Amino acid sequence: MFGYIRPSRGELKVKHYEYYKTAYCGLCNTLRRRHGPAARFTVNYDFTFLVVLLSALGQDPSFEYKRCPASPVTKKCAVCETAVFDLVADQCVILYYHKLMDSVSDEAFPNSLVARLSAAALRRAYKRARAALPEYDKTVVQKLSELSALEGSNSPSLDDTADCFASILSASVSHYEDDELRRPLELLLYHIGRFIYLTDARDDLAIDYKKGSYNPLIYRFNLTGGELTDADADYLTATAGHSINLAASAFSLLPLKTGMEIIENVIYLGLPEVWAQVESGVFNKSEMNRHKENRSNN
Amino acid sequence: MRDPYEVLGVSSSASDEEVKKAFRELARKYHPDNYVDNPLSDLAQEKMKEVNEAYETIVKSRSGGSYSSGYSSSSSSAYSNYSGSGYSAIRAAINSNNLAYAEQQLLGIRDRNAEWHFLMGSVMYRRGKLDQARSYYETACQKEPNNMEYRQALQYMQTGGGSYRPSHYSTGGGGMTTADCCSSLICADCLCECMGGDLIPCC
Repeated sequence: MFGYIRPSRGELKVKHYEYYKTAYCGLCNTLRRRHGPAARFTVNYDFTFLVVLLSALGQDPSFEYKRCPASPVTKKCAVCETAVFDLVADQCVILYYHKLMDSVSDEAFPNSLVARLSAAALRRAYKRARAALPEYDKTVVQKLSELSALEGSNSPSLDDTADCFASILSASVSHYEDDELRRPLELLLYHIGRFIYLTDARDDLAIDYKKGSYNPLIYRFNLTGGELTDADADYLTATAGHSINLAASAFSLLPLKTGMEIIENVIYLGLPEVWAQVESGVFNKSEMNRHKENRSNN
Repeated sequence: MRDPYEVLGVSSSASDEEVKKAFRELARKYHPDNYVDNPLSDLAQEKMKEVNEAYETIVKSRSGGSYSSGYSSSSSSAYSNYSGSGYSAIRAAINSNNLAYAEQQLLGIRDRNAEWHFLMGSVMYRRGKLDQARSYYETACQKEPNNMEYRQALQYMQTGGGSYRPSHYSTGGGGMTTADCCSSLICADCLCECMGGDLIPCC
């Protein structure tokens, strides 16, 4: 989706990275089974992180080998689908659909047309997912419209805009009944969501300024050019880092089992690495290109 | 109570040193300093208590006699001693995460002194609105520059919130990985062979 939630691969043991990939495959399979082949294109590593996190609270995973359109010869190993995978797949479809609908109105031609066609392809899947998770869909709609209103009024508030997105992420677990799990999960997801929003704002600042699009950093720091001053950049780094630290404090309170090392790596290494890359302009959003980079670095 | 060895994450046959090390790492993790003003500080306190009890149980059962007490956590609540005025009810509400009530009470107050700004900052912080929290703390410090409580809160925001970091992720690589070890030995062996000797005969 955004692509900012990723582990620091070099520091992740191979066996954990392999598990991470099987979770991605498991999510893709769940999307296809529940929502049809068109829904597969919504799979992304951000939601893979979510499925690994929530699965780590449950029983040890089991695996199966399945055919994959992206791997025509060899079968891929995937985590067997569970209720957690179903939940995350539905949430993924809902959020992706709403994001596409926003693009239809926000983007210019031809991006808006692509978004319109993709949304149409996803509509049945969205309706099914919405029927399964009506409360989650309601929260997404409400928070995205709050965000839209803030953006429309050129809000200078980093917190209020980030809060809309962060609240959507923490809503993933609002139905968990066990307080001792739900509270840390909500705080962890909230601050990861806040981090994503700030990173996205930082990443898109130059382009947004050039196009005259809304970016909270422009109004928060009263920018007259498309760049932050050093002081402002440091301030922003401190507040983004603070969100990572709060996510870490919540992570420490969760009894995670299989996949714990992936979440730990993302929080302590992956997120700071992504921030540093975004700051220095070397961050590469495309997952395909990232794999190419990794191969050339090894 | 849970099995104390399970709480510390060590096997029951672990050495005293291993038990101590595990205990220290967990005490570092759940230390109240990492949960200052954190909405989950009560959960961390419970965890800290569980870890302390587990360590004391193991040490007691192993030594069978007197022992030096385990890690004792310092200040429990951040707000225990500071309030003078009618803000004590609001502080209590914040401490128990009753943020809606606390905010409502604060907004009803017209005279907005330093403490008002500090407590508002606290509500914002627990809500995740870190930028606004910092701004309120800054105002509190401006109004009452000598107040340590407000100053500490502001400093905490300025440093981006200190946090526990697992020891295997500590920065400033002093440790060696097995890869380093292997490559160092191979290098040493090659150098040795250059000199006419042989460090590792099979290489």
